[in-house]
Amino acid sequence: MTGPARGIAWLSRARLVRGAIVVMVAPWMVTAAGAAAPERRYTIAFANLTEAPGVSLEGTGFSGADVRQSFVLAARTLPVELVFYDNQGDDARAIANAEAAIARKVDLYIQYHRGGTANTAVAQKLKAAGIPVLAVNEPVPGAPLYSLDNAVAGRIAGDALAQFAGRTWAGQPTVAVVIGRVSTSAERVQGVAEALRKRFPAVPVSMLETQGNTAQVAALLGPVLAAQPPRKVLIAATDDATALAAKSAVESAGRARDAAIVGHGVDRSIHGGANDRKELDPNNRASIVLGSVAFYLDRMGYQVLPLAMRMLRGETVPARMVTPHKLITPANVFAEYPPYDMN
Amino acid sequence: MLRATLISAFALIALSSSPVAFAQSDCKSIVKPSPWGPNDQTGATNRVTPAVTKAAAAEIQTGKVTNMSYPLVDGVPLFGSRFTKTILTATSLAPGASFGENQLTYMEDTWLSQSHVGTHLDGMGHIGIKDCYYNQTPMGKFINQNNMTKLGLENLKSFATRGVIIDMVKVFQDAGKLKSNSACKKPCIDKGTVITPADLQAGLKMYNVTLREADMVFIHTGWGDLFEQFPAQNALYNSGEPGLGKDAAAWLASQKVVAVGTDTWAVEVIPSEDPKQAFPVHALLLTDNGIHIIENVRTDLIAAEAASSKRATFFVNMTVPKAVGLTGNFVAVDAIQ
Repeated sequence: MTGPARGIAWLSRARLVRGAIVVMVAPWMVTAAGAAAPERRYTIAFANLTEAPGVSLEGTGFSGADVRQSFVLAARTLPVELVFYDNQGDDARAIANAEAAIARKVDLYIQYHRGGTANTAVAQKLKAAGIPVLAVNEPVPGAPLYSLDNAVAGRIAGDALAQFAGRTWAGQPTVAVVIGRVSTSAERVQGVAEALRKRFPAVPVSMLETQGNTAQVAALLGPVLAAQPPRKVLIAATDDATALAAKSAVESAGRARDAAIVGHGVDRSIHGGANDRKELDPNNRASIVLGSVAFYLDRMGYQVLPLAMRMLRGETVPARMVTPHKLITPANVFAEYPPYDMN
Repeated sequence: MLRATLISAFALIALSSSPVAFAQSDCKSIVKPSPWGPNDQTGATNRVTPAVTKAAAAEIQTGKVTNMSYPLVDGVPLFGSRFTKTILTATSLAPGASFGENQLTYMEDTWLSQSHVGTHLDGMGHIGIKDCYYNQTPMGKFINQNNMTKLGLENLKSFATRGVIIDMVKVFQDAGKLKSNSACKKPCIDKGTVITPADLQAGLKMYNVTLREADMVFIHTGWGDLFEQFPAQNALYNSGEPGLGKDAAAWLASQKVVAVGTDTWAVEVIPSEDPKQAFPVHALLLTDNGIHIIENVRTDLIAAEAASSKRATFFVNMTVPKAVGLTGNFVAVDAIQ
């Protein structure tokens, strides 16, 4: 409906003739397709990191349920039966899940677990059973890996802040802070810092650790916002909840004109439907939250299942594939995440 | 001075009439043309000819009428800022306010509502791609503060045609693939379930129905059970729905139907098959093919009737107000058999 398919010029007579041929041929094609042997259906196991309620994954606002649902939705258009396992963040459970999948004779195993020893054991057991493995976000020996690229995501956030500062505050004293789960998001934080220092080598970059507690954001940002003489403040938040808390802190301090914020994740706390009027909304283009870097954990199934299908069809897949992170702003949020609260 | 003023005026006119000033899209490369010509604003109801209506009338055999509309009342599922509210004017019931010696009294209503609420029809002006709407209409040229000046409901012809109910719940039950939602009191297909061309064809085969040009197709998914529970299940009802995938919609379009109605709020599967596509079935049916969408249709009664009578076809009794410039409106639908 969009892009190339919609790019067809409908008036050309020659194209109309071609269209007519397609229409005439189409019934035969349907019949032929119907007569062909149905495509083999595969059973694919997905062992999730954890599906515990309220537990966020990868330092973002996404949960295991979001990841699982993305597999359910992505499987709708594929010849796939899914079997779900919950690794519960536990090595023994992860190994037991792999054993259960072997007993069930699944065609492929997607492993999302943080634990090198367990992942090695899982790899050995599945290899012995002749079941291919696709690893998600954490390496599994011998398996292709699909993962986030935290360093790239951080650089996208840092670039966005740097470009805004260069465009808006050129020549004005500026500081930068990275706030959130700083210690457990090292690559992300490093990416932000690299991008900022590349553009503004003299701008100091401070790290403010919240350990995921957004109630700490205002207290940690307070001294930065109250410092004299006042300076412009670039804020990279490691997740969306922290970005929203930072915005609140900045506004409470009366410094909204002097701050710009970029988050990471693009979870539902920061974007929503046409009527939700969340922070990232086309009608909110003047927000000091410039955007957030998409991690697409809610679309992981759409990325990973096609790779699994390629493996099952005997195609070679790269040893490492990464999430195509992208800055989501009020200008592109509805294109990237179309709202569906309309009837 | 006069010359300078004239030059300025001409410059302004030139600027304001330039394509750049309107920022219009090339609609001929974005939307299909109408098969009824470049001036067509009617869409698929062009197919409802006298012969079609006469043939459809043959569906009336027992005269039994089955309701296919939900009540329009406060509390039914709506999105966000949408609302529907009535205000009764009954001043003449006050003592002494009746008219004449015969003491005539009267009442009337003020009805405040968006048009796309309850059981309603989506018109040709409801959905576009960029600023391009049905029949390659650059809609930016044809709207004002109050309404559209093209593609309004006043252009529609009759819906006096044959209706067909496809009981998708039965199709899924028979195929052993029904995954109902626990909140449904009767069997329903869960949200996110894609209805395929094969599903539609299985549903038609169930009652030995072959679609005809100008038919109106109604699909029973059971999801409307949540609508009936309003307001308790409004959030769940609105959170997604089972519905047509793009292939199924394209197949229905190829059958040259007039309208597609379901017991859901968008007819199409939500979440969409492609998470980066917004309402692709709406665009396919309305924008590209001029085929109406009817949402929040009460389908359970006619599905039950079809199950007991083994007849899935009926005469459609539905009219649409000649509401000038509107994109859609409430409708009441009856099936007459």
